[in-house]
Amino acid sequence: MSMTASQRALDYLEQLPGTTFTKLYQQPSTALAIFRRMLPHLAKTLVMAMLYMPEPFATTSLDTWVKGDAESAQAKDRALSILQRLRILFDAPDAKGRSGIRLSEQFAKSLRAALTGGGGEHRSFGVPCSTADATTVTVEVLDTFARRQWEAILYYVVGSANTGLGGAANISQGTKTLLQKGNYVRGTARATSITQLGFTFLLQEVNAQIWDLLIVYLNYSTELRMDPVDVLSFLFTLGSLELGISYSTSNLTPTQLQMLEDLSDFGVVYQPPEDKTRYYPTRLATTLTSDAPALPNSNLSSTTTTSTTTDTTTSTASNIPSQNEKGYILLETNYRLYAYTTSPLHLSLLSLFCALKTRYPNLTTAKITKKSILRALALSITSDQIITYLTTHAHPLMRLSTPTLPPTVVDQIRLWQLEGERMKSWNGFLIKDIGSQEEYEKAVRMDQMTGYFRGVAVKRKEAIAKREAEMSVKKEVL
Amino acid sequence: MNVVDATDRAEAHEDLEPPSLLTIILDTNPHAWALLGDSLPLSKAVANLLVFINAHLAINYANRVAVIASHAERAAWLYPTPAHARKQETQMNGSVSNSHAQNGEGRGGAVQPPDDANKYRPFAQMEYAFMDNLRKLMDSTTTEAIQSSPSTMLAGALTRALAYISKQTSTVPTTTTNAQFNYSDPSSVAGGNDLNNDPTSNQTTQGLTSRVLIVSVSGDLADKYIEIMNSIFACQRLSIPIDILKLAGDPVFLQQAADTTGGIYMSLSTPQARAGLLQYLMFAYLPDQTARDHLIMPGEDGTCLLCGSHLSMANYGQKPAVVPRKKKGKKKRIADSGVDTPGSGSGTPIPV
Repeated sequence: MSMTASQRALDYLEQLPGTTFTKLYQQPSTALAIFRRMLPHLAKTLVMAMLYMPEPFATTSLDTWVKGDAESAQAKDRALSILQRLRILFDAPDAKGRSGIRLSEQFAKSLRAALTGGGGEHRSFGVPCSTADATTVTVEVLDTFARRQWEAILYYVVGSANTGLGGAANISQGTKTLLQKGNYVRGTARATSITQLGFTFLLQEVNAQIWDLLIVYLNYSTELRMDPVDVLSFLFTLGSLELGISYSTSNLTPTQLQMLEDLSDFGVVYQPPEDKTRYYPTRLATTLTSDAPALPNSNLSSTTTTSTTTDTTTSTASNIPSQNEKGYILLETNYRLYAYTTSPLHLSLLSLFCALKTRYPNLTTAKITKKSILRALALSITSDQIITYLTTHAHPLMRLSTPTLPPTVVDQIRLWQLEGERMKSWNGFLIKDIGSQEEYEKAVRMDQMTGYFRGVAVKRKEAIAKREAEMSVKKEVL
Repeated sequence: MNVVDATDRAEAHEDLEPPSLLTIILDTNPHAWALLGDSLPLSKAVANLLVFINAHLAINYANRVAVIASHAERAAWLYPTPAHARKQETQMNGSVSNSHAQNGEGRGGAVQPPDDANKYRPFAQMEYAFMDNLRKLMDSTTTEAIQSSPSTMLAGALTRALAYISKQTSTVPTTTTNAQFNYSDPSSVAGGNDLNNDPTSNQTTQGLTSRVLIVSVSGDLADKYIEIMNSIFACQRLSIPIDILKLAGDPVFLQQAADTTGGIYMSLSTPQARAGLLQYLMFAYLPDQTARDHLIMPGEDGTCLLCGSHLSMANYGQKPAVVPRKKKGKKKRIADSGVDTPGSGSGTPIPV
């Protein structure tokens, strides 16, 4: 099951100690980014409603505010659960002793500061350079830079799957180490091979890839004795910067300065080689905390391939980005696939789950077969990943229809996966030793209304509660 | 496990909310604001409104906002700055905007706020444009114009809002090639800083959910009855809820508008209630349609389950403000109109 980027970041944040959160939330940009990126919709609404409330919000009022149907109740539970896991929401009885909830003071203060622009000189939204850069850096330059760097990383990972295709690009030793730490590739510096995680990594959309790599970086940074709060704050700051503007490095901590170098290896920021006092966020950075795709899809390939041919094509390609941003895959109901691409990276990705047939100068045909899908599944690539990849990179002509991909093909890919799978796993809580049989049955009856439980084992008097229902179940069952 | 059945596996997708477009019609009729006087000056209401708009933009990256002033003798755009006004502006101080264009990426002079590291840029851009336009509107208002028309141009503003919503809604599904939000493009709006072409997010098919919020202070709207009703019915057809926040005046049509279109109607008639304006905005008016699916909104089904919390909210104004007080922007008084507009400080004026 593929996890979304925000889910992954959320999982990382969750295991941080409470004090780290307090430090993190001191920055308005962090509070804003977490608010935007990590919270479900209802949670955002709730936070905003409570933001200017001087008193705790009574639980009874909350219950009357949220609709009574099961779906809304579940949405509420999910919202509360995530808010509590992120240490944004706390239980707090009000003056009369009724149960209520309140926002973390630090978080509320920072979010208010973010909304009003106050909160003192925190400078967490980046200090723009007051002087103009000697050399003009346009958005195109940044996009090209980001693409080149990021693609080099992908190339490296793919290259370890199929040495015939990669190897053209160079990435720094630090990044290589990082990819090994993240278990995307394994082996020695000479001969590396891609892992299952590596395949998963490759097929994700770019935004999720960056988060994946950054989380590896975060874990690794603690080994390098970098302060995770510093690292995280800077990442969230990057997410709130504006593309095409240079920012000054004057207010950065030594850790963050060190990060700048690493991040420019990823293509997340760009530092003009002659002027190290300024940096430009690339699109990879500015979309860190949004759901927008970080790199226009097939731009990934076009620049690198054109750069190997002629310079003129590169310049024309950057002049008409709107054409490059479109996808390149056409998929027919008869399982034939046409890829308008010349990029070896694309082809090697496609070859993970398609049988490549013919290759023309700008077009490659392929076919999705049971064998090719099963081979992909054996590499622990999931059907969802394949389908998402195909959807993300679908040709504009494909997008004219809804659904984008032919349903027959999508269903068949899923069915092929189902053949080998009969189990499904969730995170949850096992509740056992529930008092008497009567109480147990009461809880099970309650479940039929609330849907808190994933499953019940009547004979053993046990139940598995959904993770997000933890709070409610504890309250009502125990 | 009761059943191990793998057929329902397709669920693992994070459901993404559709972006929402909030169109605010701000009644800037100087007469009515003068009547409100000290209990809620326009400057304070605008400060509250700006925080509310920022909150709206903060909720989703693709969220958009538009503000129209329903002024005494005309309706005027406050945000986004209309194209022709921007063009004039650029011509007037062409040299300034040129230097900016070299510095940044041609964002133009008119919507260029001072650089501030303490403020999220899209918020700053929106506020700057908003305050700039509001100030221009007030500056251009002549005494004669106010004397000749004591009412407000709600019909015109509502029509403009509808036209804008329709334009935005139709452009959303086709923005797949739109590279990014361009601040120099007057037709774009803050918060749209995204590529919006991610098919996995399904935003293109979900489209834009729109709603209108009318902050009304004027009473008598009878002379524009037909136009207003037409707009209301158009909203009903397009299922765009019209939320009404009534600060003063007689509510006849507007209550009907909210009722017909399924919007929220609230009247803050006492000074106490008006003092809690921001809390009302954040609590009742901020949830968009997606959130409203799960919430019981005030006035729904003829019952007001929220009354309990709202009554207690009326006291909020008397409590010490939770926000640290900040230096207010310089004020400018317009001759004879008795209306205050805060200057365009770099920070949002703090609600008190």
